[in-house]
Amino acid sequence: MTRDNAKRPVVRIGMLRLSDAAPIVAAKEYGFFAQRGLDVRISVEPSWANIADKLSYRQLDAAVTLPPLVFAVTLGLRGVGIPLIVPMQLSLNGLAVGVGKGVADELGMEGTPLEIGRRLADLLPPRRPRLRFAIAHAFSTHNLYLRHYLAAAGIDPDRDVELMVVPPADTVRAMQDGEIDGYCLGPPWADVATRIGVGRTIAPSSEIWRNHPEKCLAVRRDWAEANPAVLDDLLVAALRGARFCDDAANADGIAAILARDDYLAVERDTIRASLPGGGPGHSVFFAGAANFPWVSHAAWFLNRMARWGYLGQDVDRAALAAGVYRPDLFRAAAAKIGLSVPVVDAKIEGAHDAPWTLAGDRGGIPMDADLFCDGQPFDPTE
Amino acid sequence: MKVLLADDNQDRAEAVFRDLTAAGIDRIVRLAPGKRLIEAVKAELPDVVIVDMSRPDRDSLEAIREVSAKDPLPIVMFVDRDDAAFMEEAIAAGVSSYNLVGSALPDVKPIAQAAVAIFRRYQKMADDLREAEDRLNERVIIQRAKALLMQQRKMAEPQAHKWLRQSAMNSGKRMVDVAAALLEAAEKRS
Repeated sequence: MTRDNAKRPVVRIGMLRLSDAAPIVAAKEYGFFAQRGLDVRISVEPSWANIADKLSYRQLDAAVTLPPLVFAVTLGLRGVGIPLIVPMQLSLNGLAVGVGKGVADELGMEGTPLEIGRRLADLLPPRRPRLRFAIAHAFSTHNLYLRHYLAAAGIDPDRDVELMVVPPADTVRAMQDGEIDGYCLGPPWADVATRIGVGRTIAPSSEIWRNHPEKCLAVRRDWAEANPAVLDDLLVAALRGARFCDDAANADGIAAILARDDYLAVERDTIRASLPGGGPGHSVFFAGAANFPWVSHAAWFLNRMARWGYLGQDVDRAALAAGVYRPDLFRAAAAKIGLSVPVVDAKIEGAHDAPWTLAGDRGGIPMDADLFCDGQPFDPTE
Repeated sequence: MKVLLADDNQDRAEAVFRDLTAAGIDRIVRLAPGKRLIEAVKAELPDVVIVDMSRPDRDSLEAIREVSAKDPLPIVMFVDRDDAAFMEEAIAAGVSSYNLVGSALPDVKPIAQAAVAIFRRYQKMADDLREAEDRLNERVIIQRAKALLMQQRKMAEPQAHKWLRQSAMNSGKRMVDVAAALLEAAEKRS
């Protein structure tokens, strides 16, 4: 079905072999894109560098990606860069911090993740050589959440441990070969590590920041401005995909699709564990305004990037957050399916230790807790 | 000038190696299969790194200096990041070249260009092969659809061929798509 008379462009969306790309894969495979008259081509890339390069040189129009990388590409912090926007968040939670069996046995697994983290401090310099943790990319949520967790446990992530970039699919082998001692991994790779028995989760990322933003949909700003109607349809279809993926009843079917060789090429049951209805800390795709691109999330990422020295203090973070994150575009798409959306663009993050209700334009939105592990809320206006 | 070449396609790596050697580059280190890119960069401290873009460990070269403040490494930059046309060509060919700051760009660019040329040649070979396979598959699908028509509608082979061609022309589709639809419909009925 074609919605316009004019020929619509093929939409090229990049993703990595990760189960939290599910909303986009589902929108493609279950026909939500086609229903909106969209011809979407999904390109499964081997690295975040490929995603960033192909966006920068206009060989992709959009990608399932990491918010810190979106800012790095927009600012040209790696390669030449190109302005990107985030009109939609795709998932919450889903990462896991884990360590090898030996370290886990020494630590003991009792207590909260933060208590385990504090005991980890006893296994570090000057008593021991630095433990090496794998992250997916310098500009990744993995890096920022792991740093937040370590710092909350009194560990200096730059001095006390070594953070290394290791491709997720390679982490199991690196653990087996003793090249690394732990990791912060995305789904389904933490589940792969636990199932094979090379790693034990000490902190699901949902325990570092409850219901934290994980993957987002990034779109080239020039493409979005040239194709506003296509983008609107894309968001509506992706939102349908996200809602579909959040229903645990659909998880078996989605896991089977993601397991295919042209997507993740990972065993279905392992993928299933990282989807709704699966293991602890699994991805959330729709509930609790999961898809709303909170400007306060953007502000938190930029604040942390500056805190850890990835961003100069001279960058106008408030202007960048409001320019890249686009709740206005999300609201327009959400209205088409009658979804109640938040009436504000930003909120204080980490202020709720229990479920609460957020004001929405079509009625209250049930929200879950959003505490940080260190208990410190984040006020985006500060 | 020292070049680190990270490409698990041995044939192609050999071709790049030969080209660069012929161009007078005498220090070329080839990354052994299964070895980590970042370890080789740390150990060899090359001026230029040529990387196959299908390698997932390319991410380890991104902002390596910032990942670990304790372990300072040279800043890694794309060769000719501001030459968009060249970068597009390189990405399309599937190769990315890094300049470890300290080497002058005029010396580095020909190395990157040589790598792109060879990667492009290999890509074309792979594309041609895929196209040949697709065409073979298409022929098989058309043959099966003809067999179906001959059996079910009692057509002779030339008639079946003509029927498929006519249907394709009428519907503005390719013959193979008409054939595939026919086979799929038959499968659903059975």
